[in-house]
Amino acid sequence: MQPRLETEHLFKVFGRRPDEAVRRLRQGADREELRADGITAAVIDASFRVEAGEIFVVMGLSGSGKSTLLRMLNGLLESTAGSVRFDGQDLTELTARELRELRSKKISMVFQHFALFPHRSVRDNAAYGLAVQGVPRAERERRADEALALCGLAGWEDSWPDELSGGMQQRVGLARALATDADLLLMDESFSALDPLIRRDMQDQLLELQKTLKKTIVFITHDLNEAMRLGDRIAVMRDGRIVQTGTAEDILLRPANDYVASFIQDVDRARVLTAAAVMDTDVRGDEADCGCETASPDTPFTELCAISARLTHPVAVLGEGRALVGVVPRRRLVGFLGDEQGEPTACDDNGDKGGEKVIARA
Amino acid sequence: MPRIHLGDWVDSGVNWLVDHLSWLFDAVKAVVEGMYNGIDAVLSAPEPLLMAGILAVIAWWLRGLVAGVLAFAGFALVDSLDLWDRAMSTLALVLVATVIALVISLPLGIWAARSRAVSAAVRPVLDLLQTMPSMVLLIPAMLFFGLGTAAGVVATLIFALAPGVRMTELGIRQVDAELVEAAEAFGTTPRDILWRVQLPLALPTIMAGVNQVIMLGLSMVVIAGMVGTGGLGGAVNEAIGQLDIGYGFEAGVGIVVLAIYLDRITGALGTQLSPLGRRAAAKAPTRAWTYRPRPAVAVVGVVVLALVAGGMGVFGSSTGTSEASGTNVGKGKEIKIGYIPWDEGVASTFLWKEILEERGFKVTTTQYAAGPLYTGLATGQIDFETDSWLPTTHAEYWKKYGKQLDDLGSWFGPTSLELSVPSYVKDVNSLADLKDHASEFGGKIVGIEPSAGEMGLLKSKVLKEYGLQDSYEVIDGSTPAMLAELKRAYAKKEPVVVTLWSPHWAYNDYDLKKLKDPEGAWGKGDGVHTLARKGFTGDNPQVGRWLKDFSMTEKQLTGLEAQIQKAGKGKEQDAVRTWLRTNPGLVDKWAPVAKEDARSRAAG
Repeated sequence: MQPRLETEHLFKVFGRRPDEAVRRLRQGADREELRADGITAAVIDASFRVEAGEIFVVMGLSGSGKSTLLRMLNGLLESTAGSVRFDGQDLTELTARELRELRSKKISMVFQHFALFPHRSVRDNAAYGLAVQGVPRAERERRADEALALCGLAGWEDSWPDELSGGMQQRVGLARALATDADLLLMDESFSALDPLIRRDMQDQLLELQKTLKKTIVFITHDLNEAMRLGDRIAVMRDGRIVQTGTAEDILLRPANDYVASFIQDVDRARVLTAAAVMDTDVRGDEADCGCETASPDTPFTELCAISARLTHPVAVLGEGRALVGVVPRRRLVGFLGDEQGEPTACDDNGDKGGEKVIARA
Repeated sequence: MPRIHLGDWVDSGVNWLVDHLSWLFDAVKAVVEGMYNGIDAVLSAPEPLLMAGILAVIAWWLRGLVAGVLAFAGFALVDSLDLWDRAMSTLALVLVATVIALVISLPLGIWAARSRAVSAAVRPVLDLLQTMPSMVLLIPAMLFFGLGTAAGVVATLIFALAPGVRMTELGIRQVDAELVEAAEAFGTTPRDILWRVQLPLALPTIMAGVNQVIMLGLSMVVIAGMVGTGGLGGAVNEAIGQLDIGYGFEAGVGIVVLAIYLDRITGALGTQLSPLGRRAAAKAPTRAWTYRPRPAVAVVGVVVLALVAGGMGVFGSSTGTSEASGTNVGKGKEIKIGYIPWDEGVASTFLWKEILEERGFKVTTTQYAAGPLYTGLATGQIDFETDSWLPTTHAEYWKKYGKQLDDLGSWFGPTSLELSVPSYVKDVNSLADLKDHASEFGGKIVGIEPSAGEMGLLKSKVLKEYGLQDSYEVIDGSTPAMLAELKRAYAKKEPVVVTLWSPHWAYNDYDLKKLKDPEGAWGKGDGVHTLARKGFTGDNPQVGRWLKDFSMTEKQLTGLEAQIQKAGKGKEQDAVRTWLRTNPGLVDKWAPVAKEDARSRAAG
């Protein structure tokens, strides 16, 4: 099955003679090298696939090129080299008119600072995309009201953007993006401007909506916790390049390089990891026979710890049909929490050193 | 440094344009004058108070009750100052200039906002238009469009163009880039981005620009008055020319009323047009004095008043038609007289207006500065004028335009030019005495307009002849400023030396000494000549003959001048009639008609 969205060797270079810059980058030139010549390589050789119904998170610090990357996915920025295929159609081959058509019907966008039109009511903001398409007033207002209700804003249709709180404004932004029934949702740091509690709410709401709507979403963020929470898959960007693509667990457990590793240091592992990620699959086969409490592969890490505390032996993990798929020894749990895997070494004088270390790191 | 002959290039460029693009200028002129006449006709059609009512209802609708009442009071004041028609023609002029300025500046501003190249190209042009002294633009405008409304409107709109372009560009550039991006992300076409996002959000800034356009237009009206646009600007110019402080102030008040009204109305219009402004206004609590009628009510109010006005126009008094008679030589033919607001010019101009009207001509008189007057005459905009001092004082003008003019001869003379001091200044009786008294006068000679022939003569010849060029400085200024300085110094008995000429009423009002000119530096006295455009005497042989034969004695002229001075501003022709009644027979002497006509007139 072809992916909904696919990029291949995508480059975006700002400055003079971009084609030559791309050639130099392909030959292994450094980003800093080009910057000395007044050229900014914003996105370098980005390739990824996004499947239908997936939330794909692009994560990186500011200046890593993630916003530029996002803007090439709907043609707001023209790529310097490479291709972006949406449903098999290469965007770089479309005319300006076809691109606008695509943006108005198939791809919508949610912005960091909401970008609501201050001169339009909440309803007219939500209906904006439909108005651009030329949908008759009655229908677009009905669909806008539906989208607003979906985002929990029923009753606020006649308000004005400046009368709403930040979270509510972003709900309008989301409703505006949903009202057009676009298949692909591009979200540019959409929750970054909100305070932490509201941000959590919005993340929950997005996940809730996604259960029923099954949109394809590309979500940009600089917040790894947010990426882990939302992303089915995550691409980590650094200095214009995608350094690792994978699930939250892939990134957490198998960081591709030191940069990613240092990035994930502060992640709250307990919220991300599940039994499947931490269990030891090397089993004897009889660990679950004692009749004690067991776990399933998607049992969250925190719950796993609680079970482990009540048992004197490793926790058995049962898969489908209550078949034993793995075991989680307590020592393994402690090791994951502290970012230390592998076997402990024996000490010479007393046995507390390893424990001390864990406490210190946790 | 080599001398760059920029001025010569501009000169020949302007001449080339006049020669080759006259069709374009004529078309522009037709459009501008058509608009102006239409608007002016609408504005001055109703009774003044009804029109004031209509304007007040608009103010009430846009700003509230207090604004409406004040607007009515302001316009009623203008009417009671007898300035209504002038105010309406000024309003029409400003509206036409504003509309044209906006038609040009809004698209230009939008274009500049979307293209850096255009923006960079437009900016210095705007700087030039905005800061170039307006008189400098006025003269070419006059050459292109002739005297009158079109030149005034064009000069006004050129001056007023810049803020319209600048504020439009600024307003659009100020719109949040993320909003524009959002619109793009939803597939909005560039045109729709402009209409749906950029213009609505830029509207408050654009309206501030519109407001500035109107205000600058109004401030330019006075200067435009110098090329015969009439209106309040013309009134101010006349008042300045005759040092009539009271009348100048009244006309100034009229301009102020218009300015405040237009400023507040455009401000309110900005609020009404912009969706954000409307919301803010709707949120504010309503009080009796801010209560505003709904648009429908306001429209009904305006329409009702307009209908009443129209009805009164239909049933109103119709002006009487003049009866045909043997003395009706002109049979309604139009003659345009131009004049400079010098006393002998005013007197002779209104004298001829009265005479020619009695002979059945339709005469319009318009006041100009000297330069525009000669230009107008040379281009055929004016039929004749009666106040050329030749051969000396106006020699420069004659040199430039003489080939395009007909000299109908001198009707008064000789005149003289002189420097004068108040008689309380002892020991100074001759130009030769000035040298030793330089410190007493502060080394200053109070001059008049630097363009005046007398000033040229003074600086280039008279000062040298008496060795004064090092000890004295000639202050360039204007006739009113010179007279005001004379009045001030005279009241305080300070020594002052002024540039004057005879005949002048100042010699009646103040006790002055004409400084003797033993060396004859001022030259022989001039005659006051009547000049007509080429071809005028061919078109109107009889009038040509009358003007050629015309002459006045000093007693007649000063008598008429005194009568006009006494009658006051705006009543010049009445004064002429009064004076003619006390001097019977002069009309028939100056404008004789054939015997049988005269007899039939007597019989009739």
